[in-house]
Amino acid sequence: LICSCQRRACQVSLGDLFDRAVKLSHYIHSLSSEMFNEFDERYAQGRGFITKAINSCHTSSLTTPEDKEQAQQIHHEDLLNLVMGVLNSWNDPLLHLVSEVQTIKEAPDTILWKAVEIEEQNKRLLEGMEKIVGRLHPGGLGNELYSRWSGLPSLQLPDEDSRLFAFYNLLHCLRRDSHKIDNYLKLLKCRLIHDSNC
Amino acid sequence: EKLGFMQYRQPPGKPELIKCRSPEKETFSCWWKPVSDGGLPTNYTLFYNNEGEESFYECPDYTTAGPNSCYFDKKHTSLWTIYNITIKATNEMGSNISEPHYVDVTYIVQPNPPVNLSLALNKHTDGKLYLLMNWSSPPLADVRSGWLTLEYELRLKPEEGEEWETIFVGQRTKYKVFSLIPGEKYIAQVRCKSDHGEWSKWSSESYIHLPKEFRLKDMMVWVFVAVLSSVICLIMIWMMGLKGINMVACILPPVPGPKIKGLDAHLLEAGKNEELLSALGCQGFPPTSDCEDLLVEFLEIDDSEDQQLMPNHEKGHPNKNLKSGNKETDSDSGRGSCDSPSLLLEKCKESRIPPAEFQTPDFSETQVKAAGKSSQETQNRDPELKLPDFNSDGVKSSTWPGTQLASSQIPKGSYHNIVEVCKVAFSAMNVNVSAIRMGNEEKHPSKYSKNIETICEGEMTQRRKGESFHSKAKADQALQWLLPNEKSPFLSDKPMDYVEIHKVNQNGALAVLPKQKENSDKTEIYPIPGTTKEYAKVTRVVDNNVLVLMPESRVQGMPVFQEPPKESAQSLHQSQAEKNMSYCLTAPSEFRLQTGGLEYMDPNSFMCSFK
Repeated sequence: LICSCQRRACQVSLGDLFDRAVKLSHYIHSLSSEMFNEFDERYAQGRGFITKAINSCHTSSLTTPEDKEQAQQIHHEDLLNLVMGVLNSWNDPLLHLVSEVQTIKEAPDTILWKAVEIEEQNKRLLEGMEKIVGRLHPGGLGNELYSRWSGLPSLQLPDEDSRLFAFYNLLHCLRRDSHKIDNYLKLLKCRLIHDSNC
Repeated sequence: EKLGFMQYRQPPGKPELIKCRSPEKETFSCWWKPVSDGGLPTNYTLFYNNEGEESFYECPDYTTAGPNSCYFDKKHTSLWTIYNITIKATNEMGSNISEPHYVDVTYIVQPNPPVNLSLALNKHTDGKLYLLMNWSSPPLADVRSGWLTLEYELRLKPEEGEEWETIFVGQRTKYKVFSLIPGEKYIAQVRCKSDHGEWSKWSSESYIHLPKEFRLKDMMVWVFVAVLSSVICLIMIWMMGLKGINMVACILPPVPGPKIKGLDAHLLEAGKNEELLSALGCQGFPPTSDCEDLLVEFLEIDDSEDQQLMPNHEKGHPNKNLKSGNKETDSDSGRGSCDSPSLLLEKCKESRIPPAEFQTPDFSETQVKAAGKSSQETQNRDPELKLPDFNSDGVKSSTWPGTQLASSQIPKGSYHNIVEVCKVAFSAMNVNVSAIRMGNEEKHPSKYSKNIETICEGEMTQRRKGESFHSKAKADQALQWLLPNEKSPFLSDKPMDYVEIHKVNQNGALAVLPKQKENSDKTEIYPIPGTTKEYAKVTRVVDNNVLVLMPESRVQGMPVFQEPPKESAQSLHQSQAEKNMSYCLTAPSEFRLQTGGLEYMDPNSFMCSFK
């Protein structure tokens, strides 16, 4: 990021901030996707977890656009707000994911490592987004969105099958939400920085 | 297809969903595999259930995506939702439902290939040619709003090439390709992928034909090289013309015509017949058997390479023909034994000297050489020319001409003609080049030769008679006559005896004194201690004019005799210029032959090494 000195303070341009944010969101989703696939391959085969993972994400209470038209119609502030809400809602689950995934017997290192990495990157993305929001809306966004996660007990279930499904579900939701964030941020970037002419 | 009876009129088989794809993350399609229809027309229906919704819906569009497909338009497409899709196959007999298929459109994005791939050749700022590739995203993909993020990949190959070169381009829609082969025809393709989706198919092929590159620079370089080399060639030819060098002769040396050894063409041209003939040496000397028992035997000359008596030739021609190493065949004038005529005479007088004393086995041409440039015929005829043996009597002092003496080799074998020997001796003695040159008495008799002949013949006669040689006196005369510079008396009528080299005159003649003379006034000029032994063998020659003599083991005296040339006035002086002609001995006045216990005078000592 190039720091240009303006008004006594050194500032990174908004475009650079968005670039960085998009890079992070893209990265996070890649990791999440890989993590899910690995887990699915290793632990979820033949268990029919997918059938159960319907409407099971804790962030589904947040109403987010579900197609392009909806996404383009929403105001960028609201979209930003949603992004912040989802990101914030995942702080807690990611933290627990890191600690709990280690208890999975014979958990591969790749899954462990990815969990740690996602949790870390998510924090940085949050910081970046807060900067962007501060730049765009210095007064704040107002209605802060947040979804509380209460899935920790299910991660600690004694029943292996249930526990595994809890992980599966969590990873499934993580993959989806990270994709959402990534998509929204790319939309916002093109809209705000490139004037919808990416 | 033929159906078995059991298969006839059956409910349909279980359908199976093959795949679902979304090209732009806004719509999607699903395709299923047709099942065995049991011979009856089968109807397929697709039902789907949206995540979070209870009811199932039927496929909105069975046709757009082709047979056995369902197309979900924008309205029916939701992202971040799981679709539960099932297909039902129905026929008269019944129906069958596929397994549920869970599809999230988010993860089935596969764009269409990019379009409008254009290839154009452009010139870079530094003049380099490059290929500019341009393409567009697939029409349906909404990249501008950022909804879809596409990454592109190119591939190129020459038309006849085997392998594609694949280039990941990223999100740009143009690319510059350098390092293409001029004159080649290239094929290019491009494909794309959504940021988290799958790669599209390759676009249709685009072609471009690169022109053959004409670089003015290259042509200029060649032109410059051509001009420069032609200029250089012309200059060289001109210079050679100036200098008169005949390059043709240099490159294609003329085939040497037959050359008679010893026949110097230059002499011929110069009209110096005498010299020419003398250079040739005694030729065609008819061998007579008379001398065989009269004259001795072998004069073996130690054939050390360094020791050759070479005459000083003003013209130097014979020397040229002389090859020091060529002992066998060279028959240049002047090369010969160390015999001086006087010596020879004395030898002739003597009885045969056992050949065993000769050291050098092959004479081959000493004689001949002594006779000057004798022809090869002579040699061939008498490979075993014998020379009188010096050893017992030493060498009488006589002027020893700096003749061409080949490596001291004395032909073994019978000496065929004393006259020849005499001639040899005389010719060997010949100081003057011209005198030497007249060796070929047969052809060009001169008074020199005649004299020699006379002397030789006389000698022969004398020998036969067992009388002392008159010839010796004559030889003396001849010698004196021949060697006008000779001052000291050298020859006397006496039996063969050791001679001591008295001096070497400027012409390279060795003046040898009889051994008795040592007591004479010359004694003081023999500083060499232990001079009782006269035999000496020249071991080497130093500096072209210093003979290193080595007496035989018997001799207690000096092993090495070495006398630097003295420029003393007396008859000794050899012109420095003549040093090069390889005097055998750079004998100062006090030169003495040292005998090393050898019973003969090693002709080596008289041999000048020709260096």
